Formats: sequence, structure tokens, C-alpha cells
Amino acid sequence: MGFSLFANLAFNGLITGLVVSLLALSITLVFGIARFPNAAAGDVATVGAFAGLLGPLAGGGTLWIILCGMAAGALLSVAFYFLLFRPLAGKSAVSSLIASIGMAFFVRAALTFFLGHDQRVYPLPIVRAMPVGPLRVQPTDIEIVVAAVLALAAVFSILHLTPIGKRMRAVADNAELARVSGIRANRVLVAMWLIAGLLAGLSGTLLGVKTVVSPEMGWDLLMPAFAATILGTIGNPVGAVLGGVLIGLAQELSTPFVGFTYKLGVGFLVLLVTLLIRPQGLFAKNSLVR
Amino acid sequence: MLSYLLAVAVVALIYSLMTLALNLQFGFTGLINFGVVGFFAIGAYTSALLSQAGLPLELTLPCAALAAGLAAWPVALLSLRLRIEYFAIVMLGYAETIRLVISQEEWLTGGVRGLPGIASLSVGLGIPGDPTLVAFALALACVVGAVLVSRRLVHSPFGRMIQAIRDDEDAVRALGKSPGRFKVAVFVVSCLFVGLSGGLYAHYITYLAPDQFGALLTFYIWVAMILGGAGSVGGALVGSAILLGFIEGSRFLHDLLPGVSAVEMSSVRLGVIGLSMMLLMRFRPQGLLGGKAGCG
Amino acid sequence: MERPVLSMRQVLLAAAGVAALGIASGQAFAAEPFLVGALNPVSGAGSPYGSGMQKAIAMAADEINADGGACGRQIQVVSEDTQTSPDAAVLAVKKLIDVNKVQVVMGTWSSGVTLAVMPITTAAGLPEMNTSGAPAISTEDKADLVWRFQATNGRFGQAFAKIAKERGFKRPATMAYNNASGLGNTEGFAKAWKEDGGKVVASVVYEPKQASYRSELQQILAANPDVVVMGSYLPDTTIILREWYQSGQNPDLKWIIPGWAANEKLVEALGPDVTQGVIAVDSISNENAPSYAHFAEAYKKATGQPAGSNVYAAMTYDMMVLWGLAMQADCSKLTPEAINGRIRGVDSASGDKVFTFAEGKKALEAGKAINYQGASSQLAFDQYGDVTPDFSLSVVEKGEIVRKSVVTIGK
Repeated sequence: MGFSLFANLAFNGLITGLVVSLLALSITLVFGIARFPNAAAGDVATVGAFAGLLGPLAGGGTLWIILCGMAAGALLSVAFYFLLFRPLAGKSAVSSLIASIGMAFFVRAALTFFLGHDQRVYPLPIVRAMPVGPLRVQPTDIEIVVAAVLALAAVFSILHLTPIGKRMRAVADNAELARVSGIRANRVLVAMWLIAGLLAGLSGTLLGVKTVVSPEMGWDLLMPAFAATILGTIGNPVGAVLGGVLIGLAQELSTPFVGFTYKLGVGFLVLLVTLLIRPQGLFAKNSLVR
Repeated sequence: MLSYLLAVAVVALIYSLMTLALNLQFGFTGLINFGVVGFFAIGAYTSALLSQAGLPLELTLPCAALAAGLAAWPVALLSLRLRIEYFAIVMLGYAETIRLVISQEEWLTGGVRGLPGIASLSVGLGIPGDPTLVAFALALACVVGAVLVSRRLVHSPFGRMIQAIRDDEDAVRALGKSPGRFKVAVFVVSCLFVGLSGGLYAHYITYLAPDQFGALLTFYIWVAMILGGAGSVGGALVGSAILLGFIEGSRFLHDLLPGVSAVEMSSVRLGVIGLSMMLLMRFRPQGLLGGKAGCG
Repeated sequence: MERPVLSMRQVLLAAAGVAALGIASGQAFAAEPFLVGALNPVSGAGSPYGSGMQKAIAMAADEINADGGACGRQIQVVSEDTQTSPDAAVLAVKKLIDVNKVQVVMGTWSSGVTLAVMPITTAAGLPEMNTSGAPAISTEDKADLVWRFQATNGRFGQAFAKIAKERGFKRPATMAYNNASGLGNTEGFAKAWKEDGGKVVASVVYEPKQASYRSELQQILAANPDVVVMGSYLPDTTIILREWYQSGQNPDLKWIIPGWAANEKLVEALGPDVTQGVIAVDSISNENAPSYAHFAEAYKKATGQPAGSNVYAAMTYDMMVLWGLAMQADCSKLTPEAINGRIRGVDSASGDKVFTFAEGKKALEAGKAINYQGASSQLAFDQYGDVTPDFSLSVVEKGEIVRKSVVTIGK
């Protein structure tokens, strides 16, 4: 029982951690480049999850759900960049942070005003898991792992292999210097918010596939995603994903010792202890921000 | 009507104690405390539990303040080591963890079932008269006290020091002063206010449960502070009054807006709060009557 | 809704002491409506029920008014939303009492709200009627001003235990959402089950709002139970059942789930395969009584919804009817406290059974003792002011929720 129990707990931790990671990836990009913790990321994910309900109209299967969700996330994200975050760019990070909390509330309020509080589910078949050793792997698990790996690879290659990514890193490094060297921050930031919205939409739809679609789902995911972001050092995509996985693993593996209800507290404890030892987070070296 | 307005005013006063504290922390030192509700919960449960153990309210209320101050101390030390945005997020987690502990440790706190039958302020203090009036008088006295303390702090050499820290921490350090000590002191002192307001709340509502201490309350207090203007002591009071006026006013609104159901009204309430946070940050970061400080 | 202050004073004056003048005073103020506060969870977690509960109170008030009122007084209902939050409810009840001057408060739903509202109504000398489950409500009600129209959590647990036994389960496990109601149901079950000599093989309490409950589920499944008794809500139940089915483990496992979580929406979300054989337990209305038929028809007409979709609506309907009858029982004393004192009198076991306000009023005017048989239950308040409703046992079969039997627990 011993090994099998812990193997299963670790696997559960990995999967929940990866769902969190995708949102953390969105947050860490904004944090690294626009320099504030974006509290609206969770509710962008929620909007993505609701937009995913339109997926079956476009075509069957998980893929269309995800695509609809990502598109909606990107749209919302870019729209709020122009309406809200661009005018706030010159002000302190706290202004943007508070405005993003306001945006989160506003978006959720609009959702519940028009669509109500009822839960919804995607019309996907429910299938039995495959046994893999002691584990039972569901198709959703595979989708989540694949999505997380692809998303991370995409973000990483955009940042390091494309011209716009290079400019993003330059802006992250020193916005002033980047401007002086002729980089048009506006275009970089539009690209950045677009990617952040796509990622949030992706995390929202995957969470919706795994659980149920509800107006509070993204806000509830925000706290762990924030924790993952700073655990892995802001502005570091690999760090965000590893941070999410680490917290997921710690939470699930702790349950035989502290019980199920305290596991959320364990996530916080891991974060706290890490920050006491490394105030910059675990992966400060490869971060966009120095 | 008067009694109801008093009842709303008591809550507004309890909120403004927290707003004053936040104002000291953020408005004067730039510390982002997103864990207000955690200290509020500590104050509330401390006073409630001590009074149920038989202590008089004259003792339990100061204990509530002290307990919150004690809980704030290690956190304040931590703030010195972290970037401000990190600290903000850690504080959110801290408050959530406190709520978690309250809901788990049933032997002490009553757990998720809550703590009913807490002595009301008038009964607990043995003051005869309308309980709401007693609560109002007491809350008002606490707020006046807190305002006086705040003003003294702000205008003392100590206060000028903390404002200097906010404006330019390096310059303060260059003068050979340690900004850290001042920050810790401000954080702990202001959390005393939050603890006290928690104590008042416990004996005003007379029932406590973990649900009452969600993160939303923290954001309410932030909205109140921003409305009034960060860095303005009077603004903290005005901000709380406007916030409560709006939250409670929406009760009367549905008589005027018959087309909007109560469920929709709860969305409208959250939406207006969110919208005002965005608009204030965008157009009036110094608050409605704030000075030059603000969040800008 | 705003009323001139002078006439308010008159009402209070009449209510407070002019009783000595006898029936004459009741007639003198006959034109004054009697104000009732409806305090319901219209928004927040209780929102699926709140509007229906509010509607049901208004319906009962309309019936009373159509019958010439109680003691000639028309009933005027003032509604407020608790937002299913104790803080908001405290201010709402203060508004009802201080601004609207209501004389009774009815219809609070969640236990936290009721526990927060009770001290305020009691201090004002007003009765409070609720549909909450927490046992503490009974013990905190020291002035006998609080009336509960819903089964306590403990009684829900007893019903779960009785059903588990009848269905021949031997190895139950429990899973509870970490709140008062979730714990109340599963702990009530465990207590009743153990008193009967049974053993609970595993129990888990989980925090809500998680992306997965697989680890929790795994611990339950490892104990190899034959049934899991849940204290849960719809979203978490949806996820847990789906994860159980997907895992393919213990495919013959059965589930006993409270009716508010095991409903049409659950079946719709998961489909017939996953939900096949799920046992749903809910407190039910007094379905065979004429009062229920009467209520159900009116409710359907007023809301377009079947009465069975909102078990709490029948409860709040009964609150209003019962209050009207308690008024009618002695028109010379219409203070809240006096009326409150007569509630047991119109719910008296020895009285003539009546099923509507009109019937009751007639019987009272004829000088008879009455026993109002509610639409929600027979009422029959015990010493704590609690009722013991019946429970329904339904099983999901091929995507349909089929009622199997009605379960009555010991009084």
C-alpha cells in the first residue's frame, strides 16, 4: 500500500499542480514584463471556461472547447490592456494590482449578472481511466500534461527564439532602456497580454474539463497560482510551472500526515519557508526580472 | 430608522478602524497588507473566546488588540525581506491560513459550526441601554482614539520618519536610521487597531464563523481606503462611510429598480465595487479627498 | 413601504398594552396592517431557494388577506435578502425591525445566518422562524422565540442511517464538505449508525473549491466501503462522482447523497451511467396532506415551478399560515410575544386538524382548539421548537430520479 499510496498522491499532486501552473504561466509573464501581480488572471480564465461552452457549436471534442476558451481569454486580456493597464503603466505596481482586483470583481459580476450562478459542464463523454502501474490515468490527465508542456515550450520559444520575444525580455529587463533603444513597448505589451490571455483561457478550459464550469472557479485558482508564480520567481516561465508542481506535490503528499483539510495551508507553508530562505523565489537566475 | 442607521454606522466605524490601520500601513509606509481580515479574525476570536472563558470585556478587548499585534510582529519582520508585491501575496495566504486554522481547530474555535452566543457589548460591559447605541458609542470612542493615535504618529518625528521611508527609503538609510525598525513598529501598532475592531465586531454580531473572514473583507477595506485617499486620516472615515453607504444602500435600491432581482443586485454590488476600484486607479488614485500621496 | 410615524406609534401602542381594552381595541385598529419580515437567502449560496421562499410567504399572506385578514388585520410582508451571509443578515434584520417595524421575522435558511439573527430578534422580543439545521439553534433559543421548520442535521443523519440499514449496507464510509451542514449530516449519520452497533469504515472531511478530490476519494476507496454517505453540495459531488467513475475502482459502490446535491442537475452533468443507483435523500413536504396539495397548486401558479423543486418554500409558507392562526387564536392580544406564546396552541395534538388558514380561522371562531397540519410537515413542535419532517428516498435509474419510499424517523 505504501508505495502505491504515495505514487497516487504524487500523481494527483502533479496534475493539480499543472492546472495551477498554466495560470501561473500567464501571471508570471505579466509580472515579469508589466511588473505587477495580475489578480484578474483567474477571472480571465473563468471567462475562457465559459466561452469553452461554445466549443461544441464550432465542432466536437476538447480541442474546440480549448480553442474557444483561449480566443476569449486573449480578447478579454487585450481589451483590458487598452482600457485599463496601458493608461496605468506609468504608475506604481500597486495601482495596477488594485485595478486588476477591480477588474476581477467586475468580470465575475458581469458573468453572474448575465449567466447566473449555476454550474455547467462540457458535453464530453466520461471514460474510465487506464491503469498504469499503481496509477489510474484519465484522458484528462494526459491532456493537461500535454497542454502544460506545449504551453511552456511555446512561451519559452517565443521568449527566446523570436524577435518579439527578444524585445519582451528587453522590456522586462529595463523598460526605459528598451524604449531608448527604439523598442516600441506598446507592441511588445500587446503581444504579451495576448499570450497571457491565451494561457489563462487554456487553464480555465482545462480546469472546466476536469471539474465544472462556475463563475468562481478562476478566482479560486488565483491564490495557488500566485503562490506558484512567486515560488518559481516572477518572470520565470519554467519557475512558474515547477512552482505549481512543487506546491501540488507538497499539498497532496502531506495529506497522510496533516489530513486533507490542512493541505492548502501546507502550500502556503512551503511558499513561506522558501521565501525565508530565498526571498527572490527558487529560480531567480533565469528570470526575466533581475 | 435611527436605530438602523446606528447599526449601519457601527459597522462603518468597525470598518474605519481597519481602514485607519491600513492607511497607516500603506498610506504612510507603502506596506501592502492584503491580510487585514486575518488580523481582524484573530482579534474577533480572541475576544470572543476569552469572554466565553469568563473574562470581562474590559480585558478581552485589549487582549484582542494585543493578539493581533503579536500575530503581526513576525509578519512585519518578514516584510523587510520581501519585495512589496511578494509581501502582498504572502499576506493573502497568511489570512487564508488563519481562516483555515479557525475552521479546523474545533476544540478551540467551534470550527466551521461557528461560535454562537457571544456576549454583546452592552451585556458584556454591563452598560444598560439600547445595545446598538452602546455599540455605537464604544466604536466611536475607539475610532476617535485611533484617529488621535494616528495623528500623533503622523505628526511626530517618528511619523515624519515613516513618511520619509515611503518617499525615499535609501535616503533614510543614508541618514543612518534603520527604516526596518520603523516599518515593523508601524505595522504592529496599526494591527492593534485591526485586532480591536475584530473584538468590537465579535461582540456586536455575537456570532462568529470562519465564513465571515474571507478575503473579500480585505478588499472592502482597501476600497474604503482608496476612496478616502491613502495617507489621509479623515479620508479613512469618509471612505468607510461611503463604502457602507453603498453596500447597505443597495438594499433600498431594489425598491427603486424593480427590474433587478436580488440575485442580480448581488452581482451589481460586486460589479460596482470592481468598477470603482478600476476607475479610481485610472482617474483619481489620490482618492476622493486624498492629498498628494495616493497610490500613484 | 414608508409609513407615517404617528400611525406606527399607534400600532405599537395597540400592540404593547391596550390589550386591556379587550376586543374593542383590536377592532379600533382593524385598518392597520400587521407587518411581517421575510428574511430569505435570495442571493449567495441559498439563492436557488430564496426567491421561492419569499414568494411562499407572500402567497400565504395573500391567502390570509383574502380571507379578511387575521383578526381583521391585513398582513403586509416586507422582504429582505440575507445574501446568505451573517454580516449582511444582521444589518438586514435591523432594518426590518427598526425601519420597517416588523413584528415577526421568518425564513432564514443557513444556520450561520439564523444564529446571527436570533440574538437580535430575541432582544427585540420578536419570534424568529427558520429552516436551518444546526443543533446550536435549539440550545441558544432560551426565550422560546425561535421556531425551526426543517429537520436538524442530526435528524438528517438518522434518516441516512435508517436508509443505509434498510438497504442492507454493512460497510459505510462518509465524505463531508467542511462546513456546518456537511459535518452535521455525516456526523449525525455516524452517531446513529454506531448507536445501532454499526461501524464506519472510513471518513473524510474535505475543503471545497479544489480542482480534484482524487486523494480524498482514494482514502475512502482503499477502505473498501459498500456505500459512501455524503454531506456535500452540487459542484463537489459532481467532481467526486466523476472521478470515482473514471477511476474504475469499486464500480459497485453506492452513494447516499442529500437531495440538494443529488438532483436533476447532477444527473444532467454526469449522465445516466455515472449516476446509476445513486440514492438521494431529502426532507420532504407533508405530501399526503390537503394543505400540501393546496400549497403546491398555488406555488405552481405563482412561480411556474413545481413545489417539489423547493422544499423550503413549503416551510416558509407554513410559517406565515401558522403565525396568522396564532394571531387569530386570541384577537385581544396581538403583541409578538403573546402571539408567539400561542403557536403551540394552534399546533396542539388534541385539536381539530385544519389544513388552511381559512379552515383554521373558522374553527377558531367557532371556539374550537386546532392543530394546523402544515404543507411542509405536520409541524408538532417539540420542546425546542423543532419539527420532525419525513424524508424521501429516491434512486437514480437510467437518468431518472425515482422516488422509492418515504422514510419516517422516530419522534
